[in-house]
Amino acid sequence: MAEQAVIVRDLTVRFGDFTAVDRISFEVGRGEIFGFLGANGAGKTTTIRVLCGLLLPSEGFVRVAGTGFEQGDRAIKTKVGYMSQKFTLYNDLTVEENLSFIASLRKLGSNFYVERRKELLEFISFDRSLGTPVRDLPGGTKQQVSLAAALLHDPEVVFLDEPTAGVTPASRNLFWKLIRKLAASGKTVFVTTHYMDEAEQCGRIALMREGRIIALDTPEDLKRSVFPGAVFEFDPKTPLSFAEVAAIEHLDLFTFFEPYGLRFHAAIRDGEDWNRARPELECKFNIRRIKPSLEDVFIKTVEGKKR
Amino acid sequence: MKLFWGRAGAVARKEVFHILRDPFALAAALGLPVLMVIIFGISIEFNMKDIPLAVNDADQTRSSRMLLDRFASSGYFGIRRVVSPHQAVAELTDQKARAALVIPPDFESDLISGRQGQLQLLIDGSDNSTVGPVSNYVNRIVGAGAPALYDLRTRYLFNPELDSRWFVIPGLTVVIMAILSILLTALTIAREWENGSMELLLSTPVRPVELIVGKLAPYGVLGIIAIAFVYVIARAVFQIPFVGNLAVFGLGSLLFLITYLAQGLLISVVARNQQVAMQLAMVTGMLPSNLISGFIFPIESMPTFFQYLTMLLPARWFMRIARDTFLQGSGLIELKVPFLALTFLCFAMIFLATRKFKRDLEP
Amino acid sequence: MNRTLLGFIRKELTQTLRDKRMRVLLFVVPVIQLTLFGVALSNEVKNIRLVSVFPPGDAVMQKIHDRSIASGWFLPVSTQKVFSDPFELIRSGTADAVLVAPPGGLTRALGRGDAKLQLLLNAMNVIEAQAMESYVSAIVQRTILEDLRLDPPEPSIQVNSRVLFNPGLETAIFMVPATLAMVMIITTMVMTNNAIVREKEMGTFEMLISAPVSPAEVIYGKTIPYVILGMSNFPLILGVAVFVFGVPMRGSLLVLVLAAFAFVCTAVALGTLISTFCKNQQQATLAAFLFLFPMIMFGGLFFPIENMPVSIRWVAYLDPLYHYIGLLRNIMLKGGGHAYVGTHILALGLMALVSVVWSFRRFRTTL
Repeated sequence: MAEQAVIVRDLTVRFGDFTAVDRISFEVGRGEIFGFLGANGAGKTTTIRVLCGLLLPSEGFVRVAGTGFEQGDRAIKTKVGYMSQKFTLYNDLTVEENLSFIASLRKLGSNFYVERRKELLEFISFDRSLGTPVRDLPGGTKQQVSLAAALLHDPEVVFLDEPTAGVTPASRNLFWKLIRKLAASGKTVFVTTHYMDEAEQCGRIALMREGRIIALDTPEDLKRSVFPGAVFEFDPKTPLSFAEVAAIEHLDLFTFFEPYGLRFHAAIRDGEDWNRARPELECKFNIRRIKPSLEDVFIKTVEGKKR
Repeated sequence: MKLFWGRAGAVARKEVFHILRDPFALAAALGLPVLMVIIFGISIEFNMKDIPLAVNDADQTRSSRMLLDRFASSGYFGIRRVVSPHQAVAELTDQKARAALVIPPDFESDLISGRQGQLQLLIDGSDNSTVGPVSNYVNRIVGAGAPALYDLRTRYLFNPELDSRWFVIPGLTVVIMAILSILLTALTIAREWENGSMELLLSTPVRPVELIVGKLAPYGVLGIIAIAFVYVIARAVFQIPFVGNLAVFGLGSLLFLITYLAQGLLISVVARNQQVAMQLAMVTGMLPSNLISGFIFPIESMPTFFQYLTMLLPARWFMRIARDTFLQGSGLIELKVPFLALTFLCFAMIFLATRKFKRDLEP
Repeated sequence: MNRTLLGFIRKELTQTLRDKRMRVLLFVVPVIQLTLFGVALSNEVKNIRLVSVFPPGDAVMQKIHDRSIASGWFLPVSTQKVFSDPFELIRSGTADAVLVAPPGGLTRALGRGDAKLQLLLNAMNVIEAQAMESYVSAIVQRTILEDLRLDPPEPSIQVNSRVLFNPGLETAIFMVPATLAMVMIITTMVMTNNAIVREKEMGTFEMLISAPVSPAEVIYGKTIPYVILGMSNFPLILGVAVFVFGVPMRGSLLVLVLAAFAFVCTAVALGTLISTFCKNQQQATLAAFLFLFPMIMFGGLFFPIENMPVSIRWVAYLDPLYHYIGLLRNIMLKGGGHAYVGTHILALGLMALVSVVWSFRRFRTTL
């Protein structure tokens, strides 16, 4: 029974000549919040679609909640819940009509459905009438109802593909509270996101680039392994020109020097060089040591390698 | 004014990208009219021949056989023999024959004894269009040899051999282009509403009329190219004469296309949802331009009220322009009424689309 | 019945019927169209503008002209321009037909025994030209015979014609069933086609197949509701046809409903099949046009199918509209010949079956 919730070995997905996912392997434990990070087109959505049974893998071994493709895509679909990037409720139907249609798609018994609906609406603190057309709900509430729809059949694993795209920060916070509550109740949550602050809340994250997983660890360990040395924040005292910034990048002091708002984050290459150069730089910048953010990690590993 | 064309041009460019990126739409716009004109150009023939005629010859004599030979050799009828009048009616009911001829047993003896030979002709009235020709042909075959007291010569102007193609193909072009133009634009604005990209457009200083003109222009060009293709097919493949002025035809085509494209846009603005837009496009485009534009069913035969109603239909006016320029060689002066009507409808459509669109934008 | 299917039916019906514009399109527009086309359309050629050119005092020509106008088929043209070039009269659109008497007038020519009349017709509309010619020649013949006080020469053979099924040759009886069929196929096919493509475009399709549904459940779930909707306005438009236009109902209502059902199934199945090829609604629209336009052309209303070359006649046999218009006319006007009705319902059923099987082969519950 100690089997992992998701086991993926050497998964490859090809569309014609294009390899969208290239021999990736990972495992996700039960009750874990597992994050998928990567640029658009990195293969996140493709991977999730395979794990939901929506897309047949070209090669590799996949086991989700104890089932695999050898039992047919429908076996997987019964075990997992899926909420896609696009908004997937029918705008012209009411909340009740949407949920009951999904219940009939999944052939849930009517007692079970009514019970689950009550539970889930309490879970998302839904306080409107069930007869409200989805079109009239605010964006954040729609998202929560979508989540409820994905959870209706009480799946062991839920896949959320950019669930918070386009909703307000307050709604995003609320939504993550729900995700943590879900994980606490023993569900495995598999989530992709663009937001770094959301990624920080995952138990472990996988960074994807060009169809491969290039790093996989807890946020803390990722930061440690990507930035073994010290990281500093540079706050310019006066606005800098492009030429000045380029000049600093050319000093060859840093393994990483990237703008962060009006400031810059930098990882030093070598302690002694740095100590020598620091006083001069302090004329132009307020410098302080910081813990690297996940965004730094992301930029360094995912985007930085393209150069 | 410069700004106007600049912004309308930007909208047009964006629409061109949409068209080019969707090869399906491009192929449909250019290929469909040509394909349809070829198919129907080959297949349409109004002059009836080999009409299935059920014949019950109860006489079985030399006279009856001679009569039937005349039917068979006329080319109008294909003879199907049946054994009883009852079976002849059954052939009509089962649509195996369009008409039935019953020759009674005493046909020859009547003729020999100087009485009139009696024939019974039953015609299937469920398809009105065949009743007239069938009874004409039968009378001509049976009555051949009557003395001529006078000579009526008919000259068929503009289509001396009554070639069905000359009649159908210019009209078919009108009908096809009418529907296609509406369909091409009917979804453009509804699609932007549904995808939410309309909000993006509205956040720019683009004005409704600029948006409308910008969306119309590329499809207008596409439509003109399609009409040019069809023109070449009509002339080269089907040898249809074109005696009028090409510039007049071109001007008419342009006005007509813009009017229908604008009607499509109006639908798009009104519907805001692609499903409704498509239904409206089919309802206002497909059947009216087929049925009440004068394509096949003459407008003059309609009740007066409906004759006026058809004046609202751009296809009705362009039908006149297309046929007259192809076959009759009419110029701008003779066609002033259709041209004025088309121009009026064109501006009316653009005006309505713009105004409705403006209303939608006001909170 | 399968719970998923029931869910689908409820959802599709709710979605379609909730939209006011869809309700109008389903139940009001078809009635308007049927009425409009039923009243307006006629393939009887009428109101032909006729000019007769003859010298003053030509009594026979005057009689022919008056008789033509009195027949109701012809309209007189205002007389100022009457003596210009007859060709010009037609070219300028003043007249559709010009009847020219021989020099010196028809009355005298008849006396001489070499009466040569000329009829000029605007033949741009081939059908109209043929009708005009037969009207004029009938009137000319009758008038001349009367004038010469000749009894019509007793023909040696008399043809007793009888028009069956529509003896009054009423246009509405001929037109209304065909219009009814066209209205039905447009609504049904377009509705079905869009219903599927819209889900693809909006992304709800992905949600749909992320549930453990079988292809059959999705296909039947997306088609059965539209068969129901397609049949739902049939009683209404049939009622208009029978009670407003007086189209007779000689066959069995049950057989008629069966024919309509087979037809709606075919239309829905075709709509579904087409939608499996389309990515967005614009493509769906153009594809619907690609199919609907030829269907209407080959339906038998515009052009007689029998006149077409054999190879092209086979295209017409693939047209559901051709079978359905035939069925409607056959059942309503002729009472329904068993062989005919059987064959054509079977043809419709076969087409529906092929489309459904083909849709199944194209359809996957994975992306």
